Amino acid sequence: MRTITHLVLVRGAACLLLATPAMAQQQTAMRDVATHDQLSQKLRAANNTNPLADLKVAKGEDPTKTKPGDFASRSDFMSFGGNATIVPKRAILHTPANLEARIKLQPGSKIQNWAEFYTANRGWITTVEVTRAQAEGKVPLAEEIIKRIEKSTAVVVATYQSGPISVLPPKDPAPAATPAPVQVPAATATIKKP
Amino acid sequence: MKTTGIILASILASITWAQAQTNGGYTNFIRQKQLPSGVEWDMTGIAANGESQSALAINPGGAEFELWSVNTITAAQYKLDSRYVGAYVPIGGVVIRSEDPYDTVPRTRADRPFFVDVTVAGLLSGVADPEASKKVNFLRHVQSYGAAGTGMNLDRTQATLLSQNYIESNTPITGPSTLTFAINAIPGANRAKVRGEERFSVFSLPDNRTNSETGQAYSAPASQLGSQFIQIWPVADGALAGITTNQLIRFKVPALTITLNDLYPDSHTYAQVYKGAPQLGTTGKIVPGSSIVINDTVPQSRILAVSDYDDVFDADGLWTMEIVTKTPFGLDRLAYVSFTLDRILQMNGSVTTITD
Repeated sequence: MRTITHLVLVRGAACLLLATPAMAQQQTAMRDVATHDQLSQKLRAANNTNPLADLKVAKGEDPTKTKPGDFASRSDFMSFGGNATIVPKRAILHTPANLEARIKLQPGSKIQNWAEFYTANRGWITTVEVTRAQAEGKVPLAEEIIKRIEKSTAVVVATYQSGPISVLPPKDPAPAATPAPVQVPAATATIKKP
Repeated sequence: MKTTGIILASILASITWAQAQTNGGYTNFIRQKQLPSGVEWDMTGIAANGESQSALAINPGGAEFELWSVNTITAAQYKLDSRYVGAYVPIGGVVIRSEDPYDTVPRTRADRPFFVDVTVAGLLSGVADPEASKKVNFLRHVQSYGAAGTGMNLDRTQATLLSQNYIESNTPITGPSTLTFAINAIPGANRAKVRGEERFSVFSLPDNRTNSETGQAYSAPASQLGSQFIQIWPVADGALAGITTNQLIRFKVPALTITLNDLYPDSHTYAQVYKGAPQLGTTGKIVPGSSIVINDTVPQSRILAVSDYDDVFDADGLWTMEIVTKTPFGLDRLAYVSFTLDRILQMNGSVTTITD
């Protein structure tokens, strides 16, 4: 008990010692906020010491101008129950008329990743697992799958390895090729019922 | 592998997303864009940290991997990083650092420096090697958010290309090449109030040639190998109204109005008082009701009404009041005023005794 009391006293004294300097006015590293004139001067100086000056100047058009940089314009939103998710454009293969209102971003929705959103909305979303060739439009979906998609009462999203994927329209067959679409085994494109 | 870009075998690409967060208001998406087909695929199961292999085989033209972070509430989208992966392209990467440790989006203030780490690997130097394999294009873009802009729904295709330079040698094995920018170059009439972003990108050169053995034409567009941007936020300003310089204050201290503009997204701003003339760097007592902490993604402005703060003054005399903001860059004084306090009543009198 005596030891504890002693420790308390010692620690109390230490706290006082630590607290004492804080009570007084201290000098800390502080500066006046930077002004426009100061920063203009700094920018002029920086331009004279450009870190890129040692690199050869490249010529040509800005390559970023030809690239779609916007995520939203390349995506579709799906919203329901206060949540929303994002899938690539052309990943939604079918939308029944009564569910069209859910294929957009409802203001105030919380953005979730695809897996999270799909798990909570299996009642009105179903998926079709496609192959890479089908996504690229090189091989059409099987007729049976297409019919099931068209008759689906749920929104149908194309997936590849469970991730939503855009499906390009089938490419026109070459003139010499057989007009009938290439039949692929049903197993290569499977529709998951809700 | 028979022809120049046929890659049908195993998946080559992996991407890390250590900078992204799935909590704290952002949801991450990794999108793989196949070239030249344009098929886009979203990877699933994105964690805040880690790495994963893509399940989608890469086309002969290569594929671009983009890491997007989307604000869960506002749906504002930020491309945190991107990589182009293909058969005959160099590897390029850009990482931007600042004094602010915030790791969701690199950010700094209009008066502070930032650092760009550039990594380039896989460049060839043989005489017969194609031009696109010998160098990459390094671009610097700037874009203002406007007077009160926050970058939401920003059309990044409107960014201004400030410079483009060739990088013609691989990065030393010891580490990336660091470019130090003492200050940003975002356009704006008031350099203290610019707000916007600077973007640095490494692009491959367009590569159009024909395989001499097979005769197959091979065409790869200029593709982004790596890119990152840094947000630049304005320098805060503040004003004190209610007390004027050299004012003599008797009895009760007047009510104050503290106007604070463009407080940094990670900041603690307060008014403090200390005895004596203005002395930069002095620690004083914080005026009750004047303290405001900002922990946000964009700058904030506030107007504070402060009254009944007499208790911070423990003596009469000359006092200084300052508005100070504490940020990852240190302490900055936004405004100050000195005044004289005289609250002690003095009675002057005399006692006289009259005797007959």
